[in-house]
Amino acid sequence: MNFMGIEQFPDYKVPGTQHQDFSPYESNGGSIVAIAGDDYVVIAADTRLSSGYTIHTRKQNKLFQLSGKTVLGSTGCWCDTLALTALVKARMQMYEHTHLKTMSTDAIAQMLSIIMYNKRFFPYYVSNVLAGLDNEGKGVVYSYDPIGHCERATYRAGGSAGALLQPVLDNQIGFKNMQLDGEIPKVSKDRAVAIATDTFISAAERDIYTGDAVCINIITKDGIEVKEVQLRKD
Amino acid sequence: MFLTRSEYDRGVNTFSPEGRLFQVEYAIEAIKLGSTAIGICTSEGVVLAVEKRITSSLMVPSTVEKIVEVDKHIGCATSGLMADARTLIERARVECQNHWFVYNERMSIESCAQAVSALAIQFGDSGDGGSAMSRPFGVAILFAGIEEGKPQLWHMDPSGTYIRYGAKAIGSGSEGAQQNLQDNYTAEMSLNDAIVLALNTLKQVMEDKINSTNVEVMTMTSEKLFRMHTKEEVEQIISDLA
Amino acid sequence: MYAGHQVIPQQFWSNGPAPGQFYNFTGGYNGLATGSANQCKEYTTPGLFGTQHSSSPITTGTSVVGIKFDGGVMIAADNLVSYGSLARYQDVQRVFKVNNKTIMGAGGDFADFQSLKRSIDQKIVEDLCHGDDLEMKPKSLYNWLTRVFYNRRSRFNPLWLEMVVGGLDNGEPFLGHVDLRGRAYEDDVVATGFGKHLALPLVREQLVEGKKLTQEQASDVLRKCMEVLYYRDCRSMPKYSVVVCTKDGSVVQGPFNVNENWQLATMVKGY
Repeated sequence: MNFMGIEQFPDYKVPGTQHQDFSPYESNGGSIVAIAGDDYVVIAADTRLSSGYTIHTRKQNKLFQLSGKTVLGSTGCWCDTLALTALVKARMQMYEHTHLKTMSTDAIAQMLSIIMYNKRFFPYYVSNVLAGLDNEGKGVVYSYDPIGHCERATYRAGGSAGALLQPVLDNQIGFKNMQLDGEIPKVSKDRAVAIATDTFISAAERDIYTGDAVCINIITKDGIEVKEVQLRKD
Repeated sequence: MFLTRSEYDRGVNTFSPEGRLFQVEYAIEAIKLGSTAIGICTSEGVVLAVEKRITSSLMVPSTVEKIVEVDKHIGCATSGLMADARTLIERARVECQNHWFVYNERMSIESCAQAVSALAIQFGDSGDGGSAMSRPFGVAILFAGIEEGKPQLWHMDPSGTYIRYGAKAIGSGSEGAQQNLQDNYTAEMSLNDAIVLALNTLKQVMEDKINSTNVEVMTMTSEKLFRMHTKEEVEQIISDLA
Repeated sequence: MYAGHQVIPQQFWSNGPAPGQFYNFTGGYNGLATGSANQCKEYTTPGLFGTQHSSSPITTGTSVVGIKFDGGVMIAADNLVSYGSLARYQDVQRVFKVNNKTIMGAGGDFADFQSLKRSIDQKIVEDLCHGDDLEMKPKSLYNWLTRVFYNRRSRFNPLWLEMVVGGLDNGEPFLGHVDLRGRAYEDDVVATGFGKHLALPLVREQLVEGKKLTQEQASDVLRKCMEVLYYRDCRSMPKYSVVVCTKDGSVVQGPFNVNENWQLATMVKGY
């Protein structure tokens, strides 16, 4: 019942104003690729922030370094990404204070799932890929859906070009549908970085929400190396 | 002595002029009425041994539960008011499960002790919750656990203070027992030696004669985690004592 | 079981901040409160006939353009607030000095902005009353606005605004953009509304990678932007103001008039 709404005063209805229905969500695009190896993990995300045909900025970093060996890539509704990552960082700080240690990648992975599921009925509209080194120093990748389903993997593509990139990774990293004699070959760190870069160059060709540049984080026991490769900007 | 105290020992929210909280101190005294419990930490594992007071021959001894499992990797021995202990143990269990649920990892022993301590000092805190405990818990707890493959022993008293120990005795015989532990404990001792030391110490401070029904023994090792010793095993150890 | 443990184990020394709860704009923490008596009043408290949620802006300001230059930041917007297609208020400031290191500009529902500005002004008064030379930095205002907008959009009651915040943060130029959903980003040049389509390309043309604009260049390109916006945006006017923040402080300049030239108009045919 709108007793006081503008609907009650037709004289005051302005022809020029458009009634817009408010949606709390918006897709701001962006893609993530993460590849894990025995002693490293590579995670990459493009730096374009857009809505529809509008590009807001060409240099938005979407990789969040949560600890010395964990990086979260988050795309989708950018305002939810900001709120979610701020919460994760706050919760990690609280953990550090109560338990006197830095959260492990596996602990962050589980906590992220629960934080997301807590908003099951008004979800964070984001596609998350978490990359890090586990307690044994092995590379791990966790991927999520917006309501907190969490899956451990060795390689994963997510975000607006996720469906475009995943089959490429299946082939190049997972060696799916290939004639192999014997074991699945191991992928070196340099090869993983090269594949991640190439997938983004390809994605930028076909996905309008992916482009401008790709930010790559290479996590090893020695720390996190950050690289940037330029992509097409149209 | 008691006269000077009497004005300040009613409320849990009032310090005495000397800066003491008598109710907390009384609660610590209450533990000295409880049955003796001993914890010894070695590099192989932790042993917890407790005395069970069987006050009547009609009692079923197995229903007196002084050592409990909190999680696979944490066990607790309690001394003092058993009903209070139940509440604290329940909190410890919930905290451990919650930690596992949220972080998919085992809670550290210190964090578990800290969580229980947070409940233990809630007395008198009648904030917006309203239903806080009106007095301190009359319980002391020994936490035995495994963290990253290494055994740990922690002790918490009614004031909520929690400290890590190599060996610790609580309860009525604690003073004598602690002295005995101090004389005989070494960090390098084997788990078996620790079990023998624990039971020997109990034997010295217990009023009743030690037997397999009036003591309980638990070991916490990285291989087997929480393990209560059976009546037969305890009997074997006791017969070897003499 | 104890209350609230599924989110954060509730400590007995409660009433503190609650990460994960929505930031409550009007102050206090609503997160852990259980009874309705503890509930803080929202910015728009339910009235006699229930709560009204804004689903469209009424009186609106159009584009705002902000640019970083060597040693500072400037933000420009025209002086018009429209009521639909009516150019209703023609002498309104939409760019502001917050303090000597922070400036801002607003587009969108002007009533929402005015109510928000009262709160920002109050913060400035508090800063002054402390008299400790600690002033709100642009990043603080930017982040605060992000939380406020996100909070309101999460309650389906957005502040229909797009804001540009700029200034000097520890001596470094800062420029950020926040919108009604709490979507926030920083860049060397930002714009709202039509400015995004018309002004951004003009500014980017002037930007050479690795080289900063001078204050004069920035001022010139802003004038050009406002001119183009006036030509093509039907909800704009030729009068605009600029707020500039450098190490010497913040100043609002203007109003200026854009160089109107309609001689070409006679040659436009075909409509």
